Amino acid sequence: MDELNNKIEFKSDDFVLVQQGTRITDKKLDTKPTTFAKDAFKRFCKNKSSVAGAIIIGVIMLLTFLVPWLSTANITKVSAGEAFLAPKLFEAGTGFWDGTRKKTRVIYDTENEVPALSDKYTKATIKNSLVKLKIDEEPTLVDVMNPYGHGGYVMFATDVYAPDSVLLASQPVVIDRSGNYRLKVEFGNDEGILESQLGEYSVVLFDQEGNKLYYIRNFSRDYSDLDVNLSNILDRAGVDSVNARICFELKGSENSLQYILVKSVEVSADEGVKNSEILGEISFNDANAMVGVSDNKSNSYWICSGRKGVHACEVYYCDYVIDTYMLVYGNADLVTYSATELNDWISKGWCSYDYKVGPESFVRLTDDCPIDEVDSQVVMKVTKKLSSISGRGWNYRKYGYNKMPRFLLGTTASGHDLFKKAFAGLRTSTILGIFAASICFSFGLVWGSISGYFGGTVDIAMERFCEILSGVPSLVVFTLAILHFGNTFGVFLMVICLTGWMGTAHRTRVQFYRFKGREYILASRTLGSSDMRLIFKHILPNSMGTIITGAVLMIPSTVFTEASLAYLNLGLQGKESFGVLMSSHQQYLPLYPNLVVFPAVIIALIEISFNLFGNGLRDAFNPSLKGSE
Amino acid sequence: MAKYVIKRLILAFVTTFIILSISYVLCKLLPFDRPIGGDQQQIAYFDKQYSLGYVARFEVERDDYGPLLYKSPLERGRRNYYYQVPVLKQYTSWLKNICTKWDWGYSKSFQPNVSASVIIMSRVGYSIKLNFFSAILSVPLGILLGIWAALKKNTMTDHTISTLVMVFISVPNFVLISFMLRIFAYRLNWLPSTWPTDTASAGTKVLGYIIPVFCLSVGSICSYCRYVRAELCEILESDFLLLARTKGLTRKQAIVRHALKNAMVPIFPWILGEIIGLLSGSMILESLYGIPGIGKLFITVLNYKDFDILFVDMAILTTISTVSGVVLDLSYGFIDPRIRMGAKK
Repeated sequence: MDELNNKIEFKSDDFVLVQQGTRITDKKLDTKPTTFAKDAFKRFCKNKSSVAGAIIIGVIMLLTFLVPWLSTANITKVSAGEAFLAPKLFEAGTGFWDGTRKKTRVIYDTENEVPALSDKYTKATIKNSLVKLKIDEEPTLVDVMNPYGHGGYVMFATDVYAPDSVLLASQPVVIDRSGNYRLKVEFGNDEGILESQLGEYSVVLFDQEGNKLYYIRNFSRDYSDLDVNLSNILDRAGVDSVNARICFELKGSENSLQYILVKSVEVSADEGVKNSEILGEISFNDANAMVGVSDNKSNSYWICSGRKGVHACEVYYCDYVIDTYMLVYGNADLVTYSATELNDWISKGWCSYDYKVGPESFVRLTDDCPIDEVDSQVVMKVTKKLSSISGRGWNYRKYGYNKMPRFLLGTTASGHDLFKKAFAGLRTSTILGIFAASICFSFGLVWGSISGYFGGTVDIAMERFCEILSGVPSLVVFTLAILHFGNTFGVFLMVICLTGWMGTAHRTRVQFYRFKGREYILASRTLGSSDMRLIFKHILPNSMGTIITGAVLMIPSTVFTEASLAYLNLGLQGKESFGVLMSSHQQYLPLYPNLVVFPAVIIALIEISFNLFGNGLRDAFNPSLKGSE
Repeated sequence: MAKYVIKRLILAFVTTFIILSISYVLCKLLPFDRPIGGDQQQIAYFDKQYSLGYVARFEVERDDYGPLLYKSPLERGRRNYYYQVPVLKQYTSWLKNICTKWDWGYSKSFQPNVSASVIIMSRVGYSIKLNFFSAILSVPLGILLGIWAALKKNTMTDHTISTLVMVFISVPNFVLISFMLRIFAYRLNWLPSTWPTDTASAGTKVLGYIIPVFCLSVGSICSYCRYVRAELCEILESDFLLLARTKGLTRKQAIVRHALKNAMVPIFPWILGEIIGLLSGSMILESLYGIPGIGKLFITVLNYKDFDILFVDMAILTTISTVSGVVLDLSYGFIDPRIRMGAKK
């Protein structure tokens, strides 16, 4: 209560007149003046997502114009050897974005100890390029001939559902009493085959005229192993020597195909018989090789009147990770190059070589030369001309690189750098978009201003025109225009502008309707402003934000339209086109997803960031938000 | 009101008619490609065209006529020469054929001598089915998401939904289907990578719908959601809802009885228009997933240069887009009593 009693007293001396004696004039404002643009920018910056969008757009646009210009990669000439390289950012072996490609369940070539890849690459190159290899521990049994398979059974079968017998006959071989000729046959019984289909067969000796000489095993279903001495049989038959074919005869059936399975045939004799070579050819213990591989003679040493297949041959599968760059550009141990290739290098001045002197005469002159040294050469016997050389070196030189190339997004089917290709296409789309946006903006602005400012009959007439024009689905316009005038850049620009300006026109018209009745316009008009002044000084600046936003958003929509048209086979021709790139890569989605995924990510990023950017821009330019926090 | 409806319908009809006429003439002005097939098929095609009035037939060669289209092989000393009829004459014959026989022309190279309506009818079912499922999925889902986002405005839920909507609305359809195929068809092997054939098992057929229906509905779901959210947010802040709360209704009651009902007024006609617009299908989706609908037909006949069928396909597109516009316009008036369509000041 003390405070209340303590009254504060003021005397007139306590007060001083602040401005006594000074002249009061207008003062400059202390706060900084702001313009519409500055204010809009300030408000735009407050919207974090829009700023992020703007930055992404900036980066993409920078890449769009810089990458095709700066990158030296060739994107016009087809280079099939470099096709489908994996994207590479880091060194191989890092496990992520490292230019390797993983494959599972690939047949393993047990002989060369590499996965069975295309013949384009030598085994040594494949071995060098492998990053990881995991071979199945257990072989897989397959019923078809496989060049990398082993073992199994020869599946000898009747050709059709018929009761006729079929024959599997060896080449004729001379058998005599003295040579101690033996025939060993291993049969298989029911592995994986219906038992009812295992047929009745005989093993029989035919003479060259086709007469049956002797039944070693008469028609039966006995699939136990056979081991007979043929010389003893001759002995019993009372013949000295015979030129006979060893035959398997299989009885047919009308109800089902009939099979027998033969695992191996071995015809042997004492040392020193003169036909031991052919005996070895007739013998086989690898059914897969016997049936399939053409350079294995035993195939042609058996004549078959039915069908001959492989059953349960062993194939090893493997999973591997391979460095695609090493595969294509890698260190190739002893690669054979033709004389034409060598002459080409010599004529380009890459190296010098004299085949008459031999491999020692090889001199590497420039870094472009694909090989470092020549190992051996082949000279044609008749013409005495060089046919080929074998050399060691880095393959990338063959493709004209000085060091191992690195493609950030991999390469396309034509061996082009996807990174450059994508951005070159994007550049076309963006330029198209910028042109289209500026044309549509200018025309739409004029149209919309006239329609909106003057209103009345003019407006109605112009609106009806727009209504009919916008009633035509844009796809129809595109299709007809492209069919009539071709799919060139100019036609695309024309067609996009043909309907594109209506968006700007509509927006402008709405803005004009919104502002032309305002008091400040009326005030200006009463002060004697002309229509021109009203439009350009008062209405347009206020409505510009919305209109510009709309025009800017035409750029991503053009990129999108161009890509969509390419998917409808109406893509832009004659220039690098993003849409054509994407749509033509769609077929590689299962095998080489990077070719689709990267462009897809780029276009999705563009659309998303432009959307964000557009939202921010719209808010920033909205004059009704001016000054509000 | 009735007057306005009639006026609007007539206007739409006239617009469609003008567009179709222009498209027809432009299609006919394209260079003429001979139909594929042997002489028998050629003669059958040209005789058909002659009887419909699109082609002129003479037994002697004429210099005073348009370009010679086809010369039939000599048969019993006679042969026919087929000439192109002036495009505007073809146009009148075309109008006559449609009005009297509902004859939209015949295929030339895609399925020679099959009528356009047969080709379209055999395909339109797939597109409609697909869009039907997509609509069933997208309308409730889109509206629910929109309501949810609006009710939780400026919370984490709202931000998540809005961001997702923004992302999915921006991503082009062909990008989406590429990713779906990559992940669910090729990587995980859960779904078929192309449209199952008619002979496939029922299970595969159902699985085959997942990717296309999803890709088709994502865009709609996002735009419904965005629209519903904006509309509902505006209404939630309006005075009448405050009044509803002050007179004692709970938040739930106020939202269900007042806000939702009013929000649906502009949304419903819009959705109706969208659904009709969906019928034209997605060409890119159909062609990428191999769905034999009218969208894929468009691309196929474009490749075959079978312009008669192409025109019919375009006519369907045009009609659908005009109809959806009319429906949108009219349903506003029917649903919202405050809007008097066509009313003067």
